[in-house]
Amino acid sequence: MSTGQLVPTAPPGASPRTPVARARGLVGSFDRRFLPVLGTLLTLALMLGVGQSRYSTDRADFVSMKLLSNLLVDNSYLLVLAIGMTFVILTGGIDLSVGAVVALVGLVSAKLFTAGLPLPAVLVVGVLIGTTCGLLIGVMVQAFDIQPFIASLAVMFLARGLANVVSTNSLAIDDPGFSALAAWSLKFGEGRGLWRINASMLIALGVLLVAVYVLHYTRFGRTVYGIGAGDRGAAVTLMGLRPARTRVWVYVISGTCAGIAGILFALYTKSGFNLTGIGMELDAIAAVVIGGTLLSGGVGFVLGTGAGVLVYGLIQVLIAREGLDSWWTRVFIGGVLLAFVVLQRLITVRRR
Amino acid sequence: MSTTTTPGRRPGALLREVTQHGLVWPALALVLLLLACGAKSPGFLDVALRDGHLYGQLVDLFRNSATPLLLALGMCLVIATGGIDLSVGAVMAMSLAVSLTYLDGAADPSSPLTVATALVLGLGLGVLAGAFNGVMVAGLGIQPFIATMILMVAGRGIAMLITEGQITTVTSPPFKSLGSGFVLGIPTPVVIAAAVFVLVVLAVRRTALGMFLEAIGTNGEASRLAGVKASSTTWTVYVIAGVLAGLAGIVYGAPTMAADANNIGLLKELDAIMVVVLGGTRLDGGRFHLGGLVVGALLLSALERAVIIFELPSQTTPLFKAVVLIAVCVAASPSLRSRLRTPRPPARSAARPAEVAA
Repeated sequence: MSTGQLVPTAPPGASPRTPVARARGLVGSFDRRFLPVLGTLLTLALMLGVGQSRYSTDRADFVSMKLLSNLLVDNSYLLVLAIGMTFVILTGGIDLSVGAVVALVGLVSAKLFTAGLPLPAVLVVGVLIGTTCGLLIGVMVQAFDIQPFIASLAVMFLARGLANVVSTNSLAIDDPGFSALAAWSLKFGEGRGLWRINASMLIALGVLLVAVYVLHYTRFGRTVYGIGAGDRGAAVTLMGLRPARTRVWVYVISGTCAGIAGILFALYTKSGFNLTGIGMELDAIAAVVIGGTLLSGGVGFVLGTGAGVLVYGLIQVLIAREGLDSWWTRVFIGGVLLAFVVLQRLITVRRR
Repeated sequence: MSTTTTPGRRPGALLREVTQHGLVWPALALVLLLLACGAKSPGFLDVALRDGHLYGQLVDLFRNSATPLLLALGMCLVIATGGIDLSVGAVMAMSLAVSLTYLDGAADPSSPLTVATALVLGLGLGVLAGAFNGVMVAGLGIQPFIATMILMVAGRGIAMLITEGQITTVTSPPFKSLGSGFVLGIPTPVVIAAAVFVLVVLAVRRTALGMFLEAIGTNGEASRLAGVKASSTTWTVYVIAGVLAGLAGIVYGAPTMAADANNIGLLKELDAIMVVVLGGTRLDGGRFHLGGLVVGALLLSALERAVIIFELPSQTTPLFKAVVLIAVCVAASPSLRSRLRTPRPPARSAARPAEVAA
């Protein structure tokens, strides 16, 4: 949509200007790219504030390392999914297959463990399943010019169907190595303030760091933003970058992230089930949008997506603390989504 | 047939023209599927008349196609404007929840007036949902995908609020007959879907509406400059999609008479989009084919039925949906065709679809 914003650079106002321009720079032309992310951070702060004032007791604050640690533990798979989805959405595409891929990876992993494969092999195969699904979408989108929506829908059906073929029962994973990986954690603090860092958290944060690097500091990242800027990658081609290859790669990345998320979800539930992940792709897309990425592509930050996932998780925490029934979660998420798309719309209108 | 070939064209031209028509591949798939089912289960193609009602596997096939067809009709119009409506599944759940909750609270759930009111309430909710989507898309200019996703996410929660988290069940024979009854021997859902189909075709093709829709879908700004009221037309289309989704929810849920907000219409929006795509309409807006929807809806139901007839586990249905969707899309892909036509890399591009479809 917007041109000339391919890569985030130094913070605005860093260059020397006249005082008037600087003042105007602070108010008027504050880099609008950051506005949606700012909205996300404000929402996050607001929700933390509400939580702090309502649920803090004398013995424990609501806002604590424990909350952050729980949020990350409960949503690590969603974070990884949303990161992969950010790549796709930045190019103006969409990937609906990720939820089904999570289910497929979980089930196949469970099957492979019962077949007696060693832990590293299972993990690699699991991730590669995701990669293959992503590659399939990428090839359909790029080589056959099928819309991303339909291509990823087909792969969603494919993955869901394959998951149903593998098993329609919930398969427990009782591999000792896998259980050890799921149970491993670094503990900090004492008593009620105890908080943990576990493996899935570290993996998710690692994926986030890699994504930030790839998206903001590599040629590939520029191409991703460039494709999303519109004109079907013509400008990107003129810049000497390779839109065709990149368009396939973003789906491969998203698929790989879905594979990793499938492993993380299996670590979280210690089982595989063919009905997991129904609607999970929407959760991921919602988190990306709440994180300030425009669905039309070209605008957004992967760190914003991280904040979006936190908002998403925090909604669930607040609903649970409030004692409301779980279906309120969906209504609230819909409401937050509504607020964000209207906000984004207002920003893009003002930009014109 | 040969009259359509203009003199001077090669004989292959007609064949090419036929294979390029968007409907050929899905229609071929449908016929093959039906024949395969007929071969496997000999009674499949029989239709019997019992007690003045039509019975048989084919009749069931038509009955099952009614819901996807209703959804796809609305979806197709929305897609023609370059949009998409992801909320239809959730709207189905909400409409059914409203109708059945009203029936549940009514003094006499079986009286025609009560049933009519329930129907109007359900459809009214569809109008409201469609109006909301329309305002978001046409009024605020938000992308259709995300604008309708809001209701898709929140809608099921709202349906749960309406039914207070219960699965509301009611006994009301007139309402039930909307889904399981017969009119002149033909299943009611089929009659409803056919009537709506004819209405939509008349409204779209006998008035300028269809042209407006295609103009908006092809280039919204140009159509506005040309005097098409793009905003209000787009809005209308979302309202139509909402009403049809409400109707589909009632027709779909009436046989069971249970408002299960979590499961009614789950993922039906994807089925509807699949029907539209199978019917030869591209997702990027512009030209659309209503006739193709019938083929698409029948193909979808035939696929679901074929899985049962071939004694495969019914959970594998998505797998075959995927295969058909990929095969039809790849076969209809213009870039594949242009590649096949250029002589140099035929081996590679010909190998690709087989590999993908497998």
